[in-house]
Amino acid sequence: MALSLLARNIPKLRGFAALPRCTFRIQKAQNFTQLVVSKNTNSLSLANKCKIQFVNVGQQAKRNMSGDHGKIWTIEKIISFLLLGLVPATFLYPNNILDNAFAVACVLHFHWGLEACVIDYARPIVVGPILSKIAIALLYVVSATTLGALIYFNQTQIGIGCALRDFWSITGTAADNQKSAK
Amino acid sequence: MSLIFRLAGPGSRLGPQILRQNCTRMLNAVRPVTMKCEPAVPDKNESHDERNMRIGRPQSPHLSIYKPQLTALLSITHRATGMALSAYVIALGYSAVSLQLPLDHYIEQLKLMQIGAGPVFALKFLVAFPLSYHFFNGIRHLLWDTARFLSIKEVYATGYAMLAVSTVGAIVLSGMS
Ligand code: HEM
Repeated sequence: MALSLLARNIPKLRGFAALPRCTFRIQKAQNFTQLVVSKNTNSLSLANKCKIQFVNVGQQAKRNMSGDHGKIWTIEKIISFLLLGLVPATFLYPNNILDNAFAVACVLHFHWGLEACVIDYARPIVVGPILSKIAIALLYVVSATTLGALIYFNQTQIGIGCALRDFWSITGTAADNQKSAK
Repeated sequence: MSLIFRLAGPGSRLGPQILRQNCTRMLNAVRPVTMKCEPAVPDKNESHDERNMRIGRPQSPHLSIYKPQLTALLSITHRATGMALSAYVIALGYSAVSLQLPLDHYIEQLKLMQIGAGPVFALKFLVAFPLSYHFFNGIRHLLWDTARFLSIKEVYATGYAMLAVSTVGAIVLSGMS
């Protein structure tokens, strides 16, 4: 529609050439943007009548589903990178330090991971504003208690690494009994 | 901005060169149009969901309409495997504190049951596949986060490579004891 409008009125539209200059400001600015027509754009004689336009670009922020978590992002990635080494290391060389490091890194990682899932699926519009808050609160409880439980397990029992190795040593055959008889 | 762009009728301002050649024919197509500029309506402060609900637009991509693609499938599988691994870790923690005997006792019991090599392989695969997939696809994610392998071609190539490596990895791991 806009195109046909342009085609029909090319002679009169020269003044509009200055408009992109105005719109550009909106994109550049962060929050409340003052759209002021520059003095030297005489061709915009009509547009000069437009006084000042406030465009609240900040309101757009709410469109993001998961909100702003730019600061945590870097930590998330560092933890993921650490897990890349911690997962095999804990399995290959189980010891108390690795067990606990794995517990902390893993719980942090899955907490943020599951938080993203909860935010995506247990949305206020889907489950209601109260349930969506409860879901997040519940996740905090689960993550915190899991971290506590894992550290307790590492301190009082065989620990995560040995538990995994133990489980992996199962063959399901008679060989198991010979090994465990020792 | 309360501003009216009055566009005069045909013939009032014949300017640009574009029209020179075909003036008359062009002019027949020109109609007087009145454009009225009104104050910009500020965006409603509503979320993506709220907006969708208001204008009756379904969630995008509409899964029963949209064609399944490798990219989307690998992505949701990363999430699914992440959830599965989380469930395992949470279960490990909770059972460690709530079971009556130390955890290694129950592993010992499982050994004594001799459930057979096949079921043990399956059991290990249930752990190994999510871990292997999430591990290798996690590498892919982290590489993307450093702005690498982001072209469509590379996304597909690394996708197939990751799928192969993580599947073989899961099978090998599940066969180990
Ligand atoms: C082995 C090393 C691991 C690496 C390198 C890794 C890497 C990653 C990365 C990069 C993401 C973010 C994906 C994205 O950007 O959307 C992620 C998500 C996630 N990870 Fe891991 N991860 C690892 C292990 C684990 C473990 C052991 C668990 C569970 C206990 C886990 C649970 C999750 C969850 C729940 C998510 C969220 C999924 C989503 O939001 O779609 N990860 N992982």
